[in-house]
Amino acid sequence: MTAVGDLGYDRYSTRNCDEWLMRIGAPEGRPLLFLAPLFEEMNRTRALLAATMRALAPRGYCCWLPDLPGTGESERALDDIGWDDWRDAARDAAAAVAVKAGRSPAIASLRGGALLDDAAEAACRWRFAPADGASLSRDLLRASLVAPHQRAAGLDLAGYRLSEALLDALAKAIPAPLEPLRVVRLASDRGDADAKLDGPALWRRSEPASSPALAAALAEDFSAWIEQCDAS
Amino acid sequence: MFVALTDAGDVDETLRAVLIDVLGLPPERVNAFNDKSPLFGALPEFDSMAVAGLLTELEERLGITIEDDEVDADMLENYGALLTFAKAKALR
Repeated sequence: MTAVGDLGYDRYSTRNCDEWLMRIGAPEGRPLLFLAPLFEEMNRTRALLAATMRALAPRGYCCWLPDLPGTGESERALDDIGWDDWRDAARDAAAAVAVKAGRSPAIASLRGGALLDDAAEAACRWRFAPADGASLSRDLLRASLVAPHQRAAGLDLAGYRLSEALLDALAKAIPAPLEPLRVVRLASDRGDADAKLDGPALWRRSEPASSPALAAALAEDFSAWIEQCDAS
Repeated sequence: MFVALTDAGDVDETLRAVLIDVLGLPPERVNAFNDKSPLFGALPEFDSMAVAGLLTELEERLGITIEDDEVDADMLENYGALLTFAKAKALR
């Protein structure tokens, strides 16, 4: 484990492989697990996620961000990964954090991350702009200009080489109805939500950007929700 | 899960918000678009990846489904054509 101030890296084990967990915040803080958006949206929201975690750390939270198998610094190849690998990884990352902290984390999921948060044991859940898997898979196919009937085994979609099995499972996945759960969306999004926040849909930007104002608003909303969960 | 849109002004507002997000253009520039403002082929930011993002984000925010055979260059030519398409999808 390495650590510089309140930034640290640790490992969690899932399906006999060690994957990385990034930590922002003092290890003794109340544990939070972040499940990032999937595929290209993950890269586009990395700065927003880090800024949100940094905004939460001084409030006494310890924020953890796992690399899913086949993503980030993972040594596994994405085209070997199935949907259940990711669901198990969410479960195992939450369990690893719970062991370190001595209590279950609250989980914040963004976009496609919300398709995985029900696999993990959590004290409470919070979702920002949750997306249906069908929408994410259509976006991958569109971005690579591949018609569904032209799909071949071992797909290379928008620069991501992934298995047909992963794409099929993704297309069927929807965020699970769970309690306690709070859903937050952008003000420009017509979907149902407990709260709407002003800000840009950074997961759509081809040039990754951040929004300190949105990160601060997300940290504020998530923090208030955790306090409400912990009090009840 | 979606609040049904009945107001053409809401579709206009949503479309502009999506264009701002997808193209990364300043809001004041997108808010000044009129029906004749050229889009595909006229904005360097509007490449095929951006078209994919635009369609998916419109689907999510308007609660609609867009089939691939509904998408052509005419519909993306200018702001008015895209708005007409979005209204026809969202308000029916």
